Amino acid sequence: MNENRFASAFLVPGGLWLLLLFVTPLVLLLALSFGYTDDLGEAIYSTRLDNYERLIDPAYLPVLFRSVGFALAAVVLCLLIGYPVAYYIAIFGGRWKNLLIVLVVLPFFVNYLIRTYAWIALLGDDGMVNGVLDSSVRFLNTPYAVVGGLVYGFLAFMILPIYASLDRMDPSLIEAGKDLYGGPWQTFRHVTLPHTMQGVLAGSVLVFLPAVGDFVSASLLGGPEEVMIGNLIQQQFQASDNWPFGAALTVAMMAFLMVLMVSYLRAAAREAKEATA
Amino acid sequence: MSTVESRPSAPARPAADARRAPGKPPKGFDRPRFLKLFVGVFFVLLFAPIALVVLFSFNSSRSLQDFQGFSLRWYETFFESESLRDSLIASLEIALLTMLIATVLGTMLAYGLVRARTRVSDSLNVLMLVPLVTPEIVAGASALLLFTQVKLDLSLTTIVLAHITFSISYVTVVVRARLVSLSREVEEASMDLGATPVETFRLVTLPALWPAVLAAGLLVFALSFDDFVLSFFTTGESPQPLPVRIWTQIRFGVRPTINAIGTFMLVISVLSIGLALLLPRLLGRRESGLKVLLGREGA
Repeated sequence: MNENRFASAFLVPGGLWLLLLFVTPLVLLLALSFGYTDDLGEAIYSTRLDNYERLIDPAYLPVLFRSVGFALAAVVLCLLIGYPVAYYIAIFGGRWKNLLIVLVVLPFFVNYLIRTYAWIALLGDDGMVNGVLDSSVRFLNTPYAVVGGLVYGFLAFMILPIYASLDRMDPSLIEAGKDLYGGPWQTFRHVTLPHTMQGVLAGSVLVFLPAVGDFVSASLLGGPEEVMIGNLIQQQFQASDNWPFGAALTVAMMAFLMVLMVSYLRAAAREAKEATA
Repeated sequence: MSTVESRPSAPARPAADARRAPGKPPKGFDRPRFLKLFVGVFFVLLFAPIALVVLFSFNSSRSLQDFQGFSLRWYETFFESESLRDSLIASLEIALLTMLIATVLGTMLAYGLVRARTRVSDSLNVLMLVPLVTPEIVAGASALLLFTQVKLDLSLTTIVLAHITFSISYVTVVVRARLVSLSREVEEASMDLGATPVETFRLVTLPALWPAVLAAGLLVFALSFDDFVLSFFTTGESPQPLPVRIWTQIRFGVRPTINAIGTFMLVISVLSIGLALLLPRLLGRRESGLKVLLGREGA
């Protein structure tokens, strides 16, 4: 047996699986987004645009803007928190580097619901913080709580790529910046930041994508005023049982995210190709 | 002339320059005390909520505000509930099946992507990554739609099918990085010595891949065990996996049993991830489990 044909055969099961269980469902979803629900509540495939027209309905449009706004706020906060942490670990971590990165990653393997629930227990109206302070501050059911939940949920996706790009960077570049009498800020702005831009961009995309589609944080930490597109989608597929509209919401979200996904995937594929070559 | 030299303002500039001489860097540059404090606070805030969940899972009272003594009563409530026990078993079954099937499929895919030269390789290389960046709700909703269309009743099977789909990608990324770092010469030598491609794969390639394959398997186990969104969309009535049960309970309000379930799940996740990180060392290899898991070995 020829080696190339042997190796090609290995592509078949996984490739078919992704085609049948990942691509096909997405195509179905796209098709159903032009459909409607009949009087019996049954989803019917069709060629109508009603569902997409509903998206710009004043009842739904603010939700779409809010989702993007919350996700952007989460990205900015993750960057402001994540960069210094990644920087400290990569530059000053020394022999504790690996341990520190494991400590950063570990909490993200604790179930997302439990991590969100922990904040409810801490910040709820009768939670620990209000108990200790003997106060009744309303932390939850606010936009801040939802954005905070997103940050706590996806921060690792920001720290890891930034850490990786800092770790790859030659430390003598920072030395050079200092030798040229650059202050800490100048050295950071002209040397470190440009060298780690790839990590910053990758991290921002990796936080933004799941944050836009999230419904857990808004459901558990937010009130009715903080509904995001994920909540709408979830409602259409469950409580309200309007799958065609849910499909249109999902397709619209995917279309919006597509630019980011494609640019990220192209960068990742390029990196993989360079490694293979 | 002498009056000019004695002007008091003259030495001001050289002094400013002297402060910046090499060997005496500006303060705060090499010893970033602020940064250290920032990272310290970060770690405290990162772990505090989880630590409190663990602590209060042992609380003897219902209170979430003060710890009134050690007790295992919430664990008893958890394990005495037959439906919660069923959910735990269901979650473990799902994770185990997902791990086994996804590890095999993902490893095969990685091998094909690195070693085969076909026209589909390039598109598969990209397609394989798409599930990793697709918001889970999209994968969940579309999987639900597919299962309904083909009249597959929602059950543990549908959850496993949905989990495998995204798990394949994780395994492929991790194993592929390892494969890329292996030198081809060893495989070529094996073929030159008369081994068939099958024998070469079994006797040369696979043994070198084991640490990455096992690490990827454990990673996928942890991800599947913890997954909520995909399970939520594809679950049947009963038994439902633990995260779906937690969701329902949280929506009913904060309950101390959730602390116990959460702590128990945490132990299982951390064990499998810890094992994945330590595996390369346990197998006597001098490499970092972290790098294997991050799929960055070749880089």
